Amino acid sequence: MKLNIEGLLVYFPYDYIYPEQYSYMLELKRTLDAKGHGVLEMPSGTGKTISLLSLIVAYQKAYPLEVTKLIYCSRTVPEIEKVVEELRKLMEFYTKETGEKNNFLALALSSRKNLCIHPEVSSLRFGKEVDGKCHSLTASYIRAQHHSNPSQPVCRFYEEFDAVGRQVPIPSGIYNLDDLKDFGRKKGWCPYYLARYSILHANIVVYSYHYLLDPKIADLVSKELAKKSVVVFDEAHNIDNVCIDSMSVNITRRTLDRCQTNVDTLQNTIQRIKETDAAKLREEYRRLVEGLKEANVARETDIYLSNPVLPDEVLQEAIPGSIRTAEHFVGFLKRFLEYLKARLRIHHVVQESSPQFLKDIYEKVCIDRKPLRFCAERLRSLLRTLEIADIADFSPITLISHFATLVSTYSKGFTIIIEPFEDKTPTIANPVLHFSCMDPSIAIKPVFERFQSVVITSGTLSPLDIYPRILDFRPVTMASFTMTLARTCLCPLIVGRGNDQVAMSSKFETREDFAVIRNYGNLLLEMSAIVPDGIVAFFTSYVYMENIVASWYEQGILENIQRNKLIFIETPDAAETSMALEKYQEACENGRGAILLSVARGKVSEGIDFVHHFGRAVIMFGVPYVYTQSRILKARLEYLRDQFQIRENDFLTFDAMRHAAQCVGRAIRGKTDYGLMIFADKRYARADKRGKLPRWIQEHISDGSLNLTIDETVQLSKHFLRQMAQPFRREDQLGLSLLTLEQLQSEEMLEKISQIAQQA
Amino acid sequence: MAALSEEVLLVVKRVRQRKQDGTLYLMTERIAWGPEGKDRFTVSHLYADIRCQKISPDGKSKIQLQLVLHTGESTTFHFANESTALKDRDAAKDLLQQLLPKFKKKANKQLEEKNKMLQEDPVLFQLYKDLVVSQVISAEEFWASRLKLSSVEHSLSNNSKQEVGISAAFLADIRPQTDGCNGLKYNLTSDIIESIFKTYPAVKQKYAENVPHNLTEKEFWTRFFQSHYFHRDRINTGQQDIFSECAKQDEKGLKSMVVQGVKNPMVDLLSLEDKTLDEGYGSLTVGPNSSKTVKENSNSAIIKRFNHHSAMVLAAGLRKVDAPSDQASETSSTDGNSRDSDFFQPPIKKVKLQEAIEYEDLQNGSGPKTIALNLKKSDRYSHGPVPLQSHHYSTSQDIINSVNCIQEEISCYKPCLTRVMPSSAASSAITALSPGGLLMQAGTQQAVSQLVPTDVQSELKHLYTAAGELLRHFWSCFPVNTPFLEEKVVKMRSNLERFQSTKLRPFQEKIQREYLSTNVRLLLLVNL
Repeated sequence: MKLNIEGLLVYFPYDYIYPEQYSYMLELKRTLDAKGHGVLEMPSGTGKTISLLSLIVAYQKAYPLEVTKLIYCSRTVPEIEKVVEELRKLMEFYTKETGEKNNFLALALSSRKNLCIHPEVSSLRFGKEVDGKCHSLTASYIRAQHHSNPSQPVCRFYEEFDAVGRQVPIPSGIYNLDDLKDFGRKKGWCPYYLARYSILHANIVVYSYHYLLDPKIADLVSKELAKKSVVVFDEAHNIDNVCIDSMSVNITRRTLDRCQTNVDTLQNTIQRIKETDAAKLREEYRRLVEGLKEANVARETDIYLSNPVLPDEVLQEAIPGSIRTAEHFVGFLKRFLEYLKARLRIHHVVQESSPQFLKDIYEKVCIDRKPLRFCAERLRSLLRTLEIADIADFSPITLISHFATLVSTYSKGFTIIIEPFEDKTPTIANPVLHFSCMDPSIAIKPVFERFQSVVITSGTLSPLDIYPRILDFRPVTMASFTMTLARTCLCPLIVGRGNDQVAMSSKFETREDFAVIRNYGNLLLEMSAIVPDGIVAFFTSYVYMENIVASWYEQGILENIQRNKLIFIETPDAAETSMALEKYQEACENGRGAILLSVARGKVSEGIDFVHHFGRAVIMFGVPYVYTQSRILKARLEYLRDQFQIRENDFLTFDAMRHAAQCVGRAIRGKTDYGLMIFADKRYARADKRGKLPRWIQEHISDGSLNLTIDETVQLSKHFLRQMAQPFRREDQLGLSLLTLEQLQSEEMLEKISQIAQQA
Repeated sequence: MAALSEEVLLVVKRVRQRKQDGTLYLMTERIAWGPEGKDRFTVSHLYADIRCQKISPDGKSKIQLQLVLHTGESTTFHFANESTALKDRDAAKDLLQQLLPKFKKKANKQLEEKNKMLQEDPVLFQLYKDLVVSQVISAEEFWASRLKLSSVEHSLSNNSKQEVGISAAFLADIRPQTDGCNGLKYNLTSDIIESIFKTYPAVKQKYAENVPHNLTEKEFWTRFFQSHYFHRDRINTGQQDIFSECAKQDEKGLKSMVVQGVKNPMVDLLSLEDKTLDEGYGSLTVGPNSSKTVKENSNSAIIKRFNHHSAMVLAAGLRKVDAPSDQASETSSTDGNSRDSDFFQPPIKKVKLQEAIEYEDLQNGSGPKTIALNLKKSDRYSHGPVPLQSHHYSTSQDIINSVNCIQEEISCYKPCLTRVMPSSAASSAITALSPGGLLMQAGTQQAVSQLVPTDVQSELKHLYTAAGELLRHFWSCFPVNTPFLEEKVVKMRSNLERFQSTKLRPFQEKIQREYLSTNVRLLLLVNL
């Protein structure tokens, strides 16, 4: 259908529309009009992605000069591919409606591992190996050597791309990862570099967060993207953690040991080159003196490891004299390494700030702040000069150099914690130096500053106002949308007690309590008897799940559950879990029914959807608080309190509730879907917890479903499931939660729609 | 015979049979014996024909091995090589022990299947009685065409009876009970044993290896319940029991499953992340947690076990239905090892992606997905069952032609209203002609069923089906294009003649004797 969103013609590739989609597009358009940022929460399964795409593409077509590019960031590879497929659908609709050929170029970008078509390289299993191997075939000096010595292997796909690929732009169209690979195979071009080159002039780019947020990668990939772009972060409920992760470093003793080897290798290589080709080192020195860091137009394949700090923090000046010559720099590294080793030889926990660390290092080994800041830069230059092919081997020393640069660049928002041993095993020495970023706004700041509109959206962003605070930006729109429903297809229940009236809670004092564990088991057992097909249960942590499973096994609860359904359990091993997941789906598919025991914050809870019969009920055992004894977390909480006036408890609850919402939200993926959401902890009934759930879940929690016993839960669930099992037709939805174009245009409906969005 | 390239598994010299020295050969498919000095076998049994083997007791002076066949015959071999007789015999016995079960299953399966078919289908059973028991045709001939037919049927209708799956909790059903004096009693039923075997093939193998000779059945299960394999939360304390190997095999199986990876890219957690942080970056150290306590180890063992158990139960259920028609299983055959499957992956990936982005309620007219009709013979479907006429098949073209003909005739038809009888006359004629009416009262047209006693009727029915079956055999030989078929035609003809003489004639005569008045029609039927 064709919509009129405040004067903008939007092509929407479906015959019907959900009211909230319309409302969402309205808000989105206002955000774009204002050239500002927005925070939009819309329930999963209400067609958020297609609404976003429809509106922004329409906007791009209408105002090609205002918005030149859409950068769509999502979290996982399947998500990325889904977005591109939805986009394809939209574009096909455009072509059908307008009859003209579409001149849009949209493409997905992913790591080399997902895009490489080189037979040898792509057969490697890990992303890092692929990257390293690729580098060893495409680095500029390798290619130079290939000229004089044709037996030196190079990647023919890159050569071909380099020779012709840049002149001929990729024909317009929609390119998913597989399409890029197909295109690359057909032309004999490297799809990865083709995609990286093409994002510069593509209308729509879909890639993962890291390409914008991790300065190490963003600098390479996204540096030249136009300012007049709209950036969308989908599934953004965890964006602060992504920001923090991209700027934090951990150093163990093993890292340092491997560093030592790296330094020795460097020294030997320098020695060798000095004897054979001293001119090369002199050339590098000259270049550094002149401050031409990247003067020899860094070829794209060379910049393998980029600067860890944000671009505006990188010093635009010549590298200081003390580390200009290769030997001096290696000596400098050695000193730094020895210092770190000494710091790790402690018996008590140390926590200090960056300035403290810098002062200490100056006093102990006379290392200045300035050369430290250039450490990453200098190492990169050295590795290139030495023509080291297998960069992956040098990851420890690179890590150290990044640490050096980060610690000397940022004096605020970071903390250094040195722990001599793990909390659980105080007898075993395992010193770790955590250099931890506490302020997510540092990494995302350049994005907000650079692009005219940044939209943060997800199914679970409640409470909305916390994101602008922790990410430190000023949004022009903030809205939470409800899910209009013709039938209440979600049924949140808070179970607080067992049938024996013992309170159920995963709080620390009672979590090992026998009665609690037994009641949890009974709840699962009872549910397994009444819920058809799949049940997913989430625990607060992996250790907790292990313990509970073990005691359920001893008590024979698991055996009784097995009478009803098969049991699959998430393990720390991703491959094993994938297998369990697939078997789980198989069991749901063939009618046996299954239970998946899983962990909140785990991979399953973040990336896997349980549509329809794959998840008819989700049980959240306990409140998934993060491990609060961690010193890093404590430091972060302190920082949040001091800098953003967010109370510790507020943040912890917010964090727990967003994960709980994420978990239970996995089961509802549309209006024809239905599912039970069971919160098995009495603390959920409290207003401060409940109030932090997304609005679309909250409004279905009645006072009658606050502190249920297991029996009551079973009764309510039975009732709900029986109702949901009735046929659900389009006519039931039409006019309420599903609209035709005519219905949409009626005054009354527009009135109603305006209430869907709740401005925060 | 020996020209056929068979692998000879064991040769034992100096074996006597019927007081003759000779050599015993154990081959992959059969056991054979040839007298000394001659290059052909005088005794040769397919393993499938052997019911069991018997050996002479240890104390006996003659060291013998007896083979009992399904037919009841038996052959005795006497191992006559003084020094190694016992060893020879045991070698032969062991090999046979391994080989026989394999073939037994095959033979038994067929027998079972035949038996089942006969039991389920009374008509077939009668036919079998009429033709085989009365030795009109041999059993083999009878089954030769039947089994083929049935296997087609089976694959078409996907078996009339569904395989019963395995309860996931079958191990839980074996609740141990104390027997009062410091012991435990486990109740095992054959169902549970079967479930265990189906789910854990390794245990089955152990059972087959050990049970008759090393352990009694009871001992075997006792050890099973004592083993850490059964109580998986106990960490293997190193004691050697026969099941430690099973555990290892399970682990291997699990590993291979994991290595195989998953077919559905949407659940592949390994490729979920686009760009993982390099080692050392990130705020949480998820380093290898080497220091695990025994307790934790056993906990994770339980978790592993449950995953494995569920997977095995699921697989045991699926093993039977080998051809589920969803695309997942179709592609499974094409993608071999994980990485090379890159080229095969896109279709299933595409499907899954499309599924994931679909909003069924937003779209118009996306009617319920239909399953494509899979027809083996499409013209049979469109024409319905045609009576088996041996002389003339009407092709669809013929039918169309004749329909056209009739249509033309009808269009040409002009009723001559002047020559029509008055309606009263017509109706009286009809009543007179209908049964019970004036004209029909004394007639022979009274329903045959009322005249003929039921036993004769049923006999007639049987004869009719038997004749039909024979004729089917007969006609299935056409076109006669191989000498084998020609031979069969001749044989079938003689069969038919024999059937005529042994069955039809007596029946005809009997009826002629008893029901002279009604026989005209019956004879017509009988003679076809």
